[in-house]
Amino acid sequence: MFRFQSLDEDCTLEEEDEGLVEDEDEIDQFNDDTFGAGAIDDDWQEEHKRLAGLEDKDGLGAELALGGGGMGGESDLGAAQTSTSTHLHSAGHAPLSSLKFSLSSSELPSDVDDRGGGDLAESLARLILEADPAIAGVGAAERPGPSPSSSRSSLSALQGLNRPGVPAQPSSIPHPIQPHQHPQHPQHELPPGPSASGLPPGPPLSSMLSYQQQQHLLRRGTAPMAQDSPLMSIIKEVGLPKRPPQSRNDEVRDLSERVPPPRSSSPVIGSPPVRAVPIGTPPKQPMSHALNHQIHHPTAVHVRAPVQHRYPPPFPERVSPNTLLNIANSPLCRGPFPPGVGTVLSQIQHAQLLNSQVAGFPRGGPGPPLLPVGSGFRPFFGGPPPPLGHRMGPPPHGHLNHTPPIRHNTTHLHPQHRRMLTQRMQSRGGDRGRTGGDRRSRDPYSNLMTQKEKEWVTKIQMMQLQSTDPYLDDYYYQNYYEKMEKRQDRESDSSKKEYTTKLITPQVAKVEHTYRPVQFAGSLGKLTVSSVNNPRKMIDAVVTTRTDDEEKREKQVWNKRRQILYTVEKMYSMLLEVQDFEKRFVQAPEEDREALLERHKTNTTQLCNSLREKEWDNRVNDEQCVMIMSVRKGKRLISRLLPFLPSPQAAAVVMAISRNLPALAKKDKQDQVLCWLVEPVSAVIQSLSSSTLTDLLQELQGSEGQLATVLHNKFGVTLLYLILSEGERMQSTDPNCQLMDDNRWTELVFSVTRELLSVPSSSLSPPLFMPPNLLSLFSRYVDRQRLDLLQDKLQ
Amino acid sequence: MNYVPGTASLIDDIDKKHLVLLRDGRTLIGYLRSIDQFANLVFHQTVERIHVGKKFGDIPRGIFIVRGENVVLLGEIDMDKPCDTVLQQVSIEEILEEQRLQQQAKQETDKVKMQALKDRGLSIPKADNLDEY
Repeated sequence: MFRFQSLDEDCTLEEEDEGLVEDEDEIDQFNDDTFGAGAIDDDWQEEHKRLAGLEDKDGLGAELALGGGGMGGESDLGAAQTSTSTHLHSAGHAPLSSLKFSLSSSELPSDVDDRGGGDLAESLARLILEADPAIAGVGAAERPGPSPSSSRSSLSALQGLNRPGVPAQPSSIPHPIQPHQHPQHPQHELPPGPSASGLPPGPPLSSMLSYQQQQHLLRRGTAPMAQDSPLMSIIKEVGLPKRPPQSRNDEVRDLSERVPPPRSSSPVIGSPPVRAVPIGTPPKQPMSHALNHQIHHPTAVHVRAPVQHRYPPPFPERVSPNTLLNIANSPLCRGPFPPGVGTVLSQIQHAQLLNSQVAGFPRGGPGPPLLPVGSGFRPFFGGPPPPLGHRMGPPPHGHLNHTPPIRHNTTHLHPQHRRMLTQRMQSRGGDRGRTGGDRRSRDPYSNLMTQKEKEWVTKIQMMQLQSTDPYLDDYYYQNYYEKMEKRQDRESDSSKKEYTTKLITPQVAKVEHTYRPVQFAGSLGKLTVSSVNNPRKMIDAVVTTRTDDEEKREKQVWNKRRQILYTVEKMYSMLLEVQDFEKRFVQAPEEDREALLERHKTNTTQLCNSLREKEWDNRVNDEQCVMIMSVRKGKRLISRLLPFLPSPQAAAVVMAISRNLPALAKKDKQDQVLCWLVEPVSAVIQSLSSSTLTDLLQELQGSEGQLATVLHNKFGVTLLYLILSEGERMQSTDPNCQLMDDNRWTELVFSVTRELLSVPSSSLSPPLFMPPNLLSLFSRYVDRQRLDLLQDKLQ
Repeated sequence: MNYVPGTASLIDDIDKKHLVLLRDGRTLIGYLRSIDQFANLVFHQTVERIHVGKKFGDIPRGIFIVRGENVVLLGEIDMDKPCDTVLQQVSIEEILEEQRLQQQAKQETDKVKMQALKDRGLSIPKADNLDEY
C-alpha cells in the first residue's frame, strides 16, 4: 500500500508541527514577553496612546529624516551630490565607502532642512530601505527624531556605529549579512541609552516598522541586546502599528515575499495565534530567520555599505530571486563606472533608477539593466544573459531612437517589464544554444515549489484515488490495466526482467466515519444536539440492514411464530366462548337460547376442525398440534380444550401428544408447563378403550430410544404411569378385558419394565404422582427379583 | 521523478516552459512554477502571445496565477526545437492593432450575417459562453 501519511483524518487540529508555531523560540518569546523578563509593568494603554499620537504628528518628518540619515540618498535627487553618493561602492570598496558615508552624513544637517522634495525623499527612502536587505532589521531601533537636533544626535550615533563597523568590513565581504548585523545591533541600542532620549525615537520608529519588521525584531530575541532598552520593551509590549499605506510606490517596490507574513493581525498582546490548519493548506515552509529577515525586512537606516549578494555562493533555497536581482541589479549601466567594476551597484544607483522611473524623470542613459552575472537569469524568453561585464552601452542608445513609445492601450507594464521588453527586442538573436538542462541549472527561480509541497499535492491526488471497491469506482481503468499487463507479459521476453513502475493506489478499508451523538441508554428519545458533524435529521429513522438470506430466515421464523400465536389466540377466544356458554345459557332469555346453542355448536366444531387435518378426518394434524404446543399459551389452550373435544378427537390429540412427546419435551424446556396437561390427559386416558390404550402406550414408546426420553421427562413418566395404571385398573376390574387379547400390551409392558430397570435412577424423573397399582401391574409380568428392583426404583 | 507512475501529473512539468490556452482564448507562455490539487498554475515570466494571421506578438506579463478551471490545454515547450519558423514576430503595438482589426472585421461580418438572417426571418441565438447566470 502506497501512502504518504495517515490520510484518514479530516481535521488536523492536533497536528502541532503543522501549525503556525514555527519553533520553540517564538513561543518562548511570546511567553517571555507576556510573563517573563520581557514584560514590563507599565500602563501599556498610556504608552500606546503616546506612541500613536506622536506617530501621527511626526510620521512624515521621521521618514524624511530617516531617508536623510540613511544613505544621504536625498542628496541624489538634487543631483547636486551625485558625485559623493556615487562614489559609494559595494563591499569591495568598503572602507572607502564608509568614509564617504561619513562625509555625506556630515552634510546631512543641511539636507535635513531641505524639505523640498519631501515626498520624493520619502519614497526614495522607502525604496532604498526595502531594496537593500543589508539594511534590513538592523537600524530598526534607530530612527532619528523629527528635529534636526535629534537627527544630529542620531547621526552622530550612526557615525559612531559606522566606525566600529568599518574595520570589520573588508574581512567580512564574503560572509553573509548576518554576522555583520548582529554585532551591530547592540550598538544600535546603546545610543538611545537613557529613557528620555530613547522614547522620542520610539514613535517614528514605530511608524516606520511594519509588522514584519516588528516580528523580526522580536524574533531576534533579547539575547543580542546588551541591555533591555525601554524602547524595545515597549515595542514588544505594545506592538507596532502597520506601516502607513503606500501610495505609488507599490509598483516599484519589488518585495517578492514568498514567505507570507505571520498570520495574526493583532499585536503580541492579543488573541492567541491560530493553530488549526485545514487539510487544504499547503505545507508551511521552514524559515531561516536571519536570512529571511534580512531580505524581507529592509528597513534600517544603515550607513554601512552593502556587503553581499554579488556572488551568493551556495544558492540558498529560500532566497527570493527577485530580491537578489534587485539588489544585484544595476539599472544604471551608464554610470561612471569603469568596466572592470562589478556589476552590482549600490543601493544608490538602484534607488536612482527606480526613483527616476517613479518620477518619470527622463534619462538619457537608462538602457536595459545590466543583468547580474552570477545567475543565468533570463528575464524573458529570448533574452540571454549578457556575458560577464558586458555592457549594452551603445545599443541602447541606438535603440532608443527607434524604440517606439509604449502605447497607452497596452496594459500598464511593470517598469522592469518595459525594460525587459526593449532589451529583448534588441537582443533577439541571442544565445539559444544553451541546453535546457544548463538553463535549469542556473535558473534562480527553480524549485520554488519545494519537495514537501510536491509531496503534499501528490498526497492529495493519491487520496483522491482511494477506493474501497476499485472495480466499482474505476472499472474501465482496472480492466485496461490488466489487459495492458497481460500484453506486456506476453510481449516481453522472459529473459529481461524489467518491471515498469506501477502505481499502487491506496486501498482503504471502508471505515464508517459516522458521528453518533451522545445517547443515554434506556431513555426515550434522543438528545437534540446538532453540530456541523451531526446536523439535525429531518426524519430520525434508524435503519437496520441485514443480508437477504438472514432476513428471509428470520422473517420465516418470525412469521411462523406469529402465525402460531395468532392461531392460538383465535382458538383461545373460541374456547373461551365455549367455556362461557354454560353461564350464558343459563342467563340468556328463552328466545336467545336457540341462537346461543347454535353458536356454541359452530364454535365447537370450529375448534375441532382447527386441530384436524381435514374436515372429516378424525386424525389430528400432528404438526399443527405440535406447533400450538410449542407455545406456552398453546399448551394451556390444549389443556383447557381437551375436555371440550369429542372423545375420539380427544384421544387423537392425546395420541399426538404421546407420539411427539420428545419434541414437546424439548420445546418445553424453557416453559416447563407440560404438566398442565396431566389432568385433562388423565381424564382422557380414563375414558379410553383398551385397544386405544394399547395404541397409546405403543405411541408413547414409539421409536427406539423414545422411552428413555419419556422417562427422563416428568410429564412423560407421569403419562406412562397413568397409562399403565389405567391398564392395570382395566385388568383388575374388568374380567373380560380385552387388554390381554393380543400380546401387544404384555410386550409393551415388558419393554417398559426392561427400560425401567435399565435406566439409571438418576435419569428417571419423579412423576407428578405415583399411581398405587403399578406394583401389582408389574408383579403380573416380572419375577420377584425384578419386582424388588422396580420397587426400589419407583420409590 | 514521477511520484505517481502510470498517471499524468503536473509535478514533472514544474520549472519548465509551458504554453497554456485559456478558456477566454488567451495564450500564455511561461515557466510553470507551482501547482496545486486543482491544477491552478503559477506561471513565471509569463508572456501573452497574440496571434493574428501569420504574425504574433508577445506581451510580457510577469507572474500569472491561472485558476485551474480556466485551462483548456497545457503543454510543455521544447526549448531545443526551433520556434516561430513560419510565424513572424511583431511588436506589441502592431499585434494589438492587428487584433483589433481582426475583431473589427469579424464583427462586421457577423453583423452582416445577422442582418441577412433577420431579413429572412431566421435567428441564431447567441451562444452562451459564460457560466454566469
